[in-house]
Amino acid sequence: MKALPTGRSLGLLVCMQCRATVRALQVAYPRCPRCYAHLYQRKPHSLALTAALLICAAILYIPANLLPVMYTRTIFDDEEDTIMSGVLVLLHSSWPIAVLVFIASIVVPLLKILSLGVVVFSAWRRSPRYRTQRSELFRMVEFIGRWSMLDVYAISMLVALVQIRSLAFVSVGWGALAFAAVVVLTTFAARTFDERLLWETPP
Amino acid sequence: MSSVIVCPSCDLAHRVGVAPASKGTRCARCRAPLQRPEIGNIDTAIALSLCALVLFFLSNAYPLVTIQVNGTTRATTLLGAALGIYSQGHAGLAALVFLTTVVGPFLQITSLLYLLLPLRHAREAPGQNTIFRLLAQVRPWTFVEVFMLGVLVALVRLSAYALVVPGVALWSCGLLMLTLAALTSRTTPGQFWSWVERSRA
Repeated sequence: MKALPTGRSLGLLVCMQCRATVRALQVAYPRCPRCYAHLYQRKPHSLALTAALLICAAILYIPANLLPVMYTRTIFDDEEDTIMSGVLVLLHSSWPIAVLVFIASIVVPLLKILSLGVVVFSAWRRSPRYRTQRSELFRMVEFIGRWSMLDVYAISMLVALVQIRSLAFVSVGWGALAFAAVVVLTTFAARTFDERLLWETPP
Repeated sequence: MSSVIVCPSCDLAHRVGVAPASKGTRCARCRAPLQRPEIGNIDTAIALSLCALVLFFLSNAYPLVTIQVNGTTRATTLLGAALGIYSQGHAGLAALVFLTTVVGPFLQITSLLYLLLPLRHAREAPGQNTIFRLLAQVRPWTFVEVFMLGVLVALVRLSAYALVVPGVALWSCGLLMLTLAALTSRTTPGQFWSWVERSRA
């Protein structure tokens, strides 16, 4: 198969900041002539950084789901909620919202960690198969990842509102922090990953 | 004459015509958007930014929701969501909520206004490149739409125990979400820099 012309083969760089295509100059730290951002052939240490962030996120995903995210103290009893028990509580009042929270807080982070894992592993192996699909998977994951913050915001609202000392009192649990950390780490993981590594020619 | 552009997602080089594409183009290999069609002009973007700025102040000045339980009333603002977590000792989490719901939108709106207002008169704002890079860093951390849905989830959970009254800020926050979405799609990096190049020409 004839090799397709790429930026690398033509000596062209594309600015990640303003998307300008510029001729690569033989200088130590080239910068974009249009927006003065640093230019790279590929994002530096992309695979190692993404993998490291992803492993941290995968580890934190466990306490995020097991530790309570929220404590509720009322005059009748004390309760602690994990993400999953929160979904079950919602199931009684409104099932569409419960499904939404389940997808946003449990399915999306898991899918994001798994898909980024697949993408990083295949980029590292330089696998030639399903490149377009993997490329599209990566872009989709990047787009939906933010929705995992849903439950953290819901908890922040409950904490701010339910502070009626004589009746009910809501406080944040460490699970919420682990959960937010998963979102932040996977967002950074997606940002450090260089999609172009999916299209590198196999060795 | 035609020029070459390189796909930022897969490094494939494309030859493009000199006429701007009326419809967006996608990369021939990885299907990533390559050129976006121009929607709106600088004036539209400035109008949307001003609108977003007003909505942002409304969202922060008025209570988001008020709840009533047994004669006790409690209200919270946008800032209250972050402050509540902070007062319980989770400073990191509070900072994240504060950054994504207050600082993110504010920096996005003000930096765009700072860049676009001089550009409208074919002038470049001092420190344009730095401010633009700041904008590009802040953008992925603006979670207003997720926050809105989170508020709704909280209200559904509370509605079983308390009377929930939506405040002014809830509506303005909803509108801010829509305005920011419209603004972001009209001020993509490619679009912004093509305005800059046009003003330099």
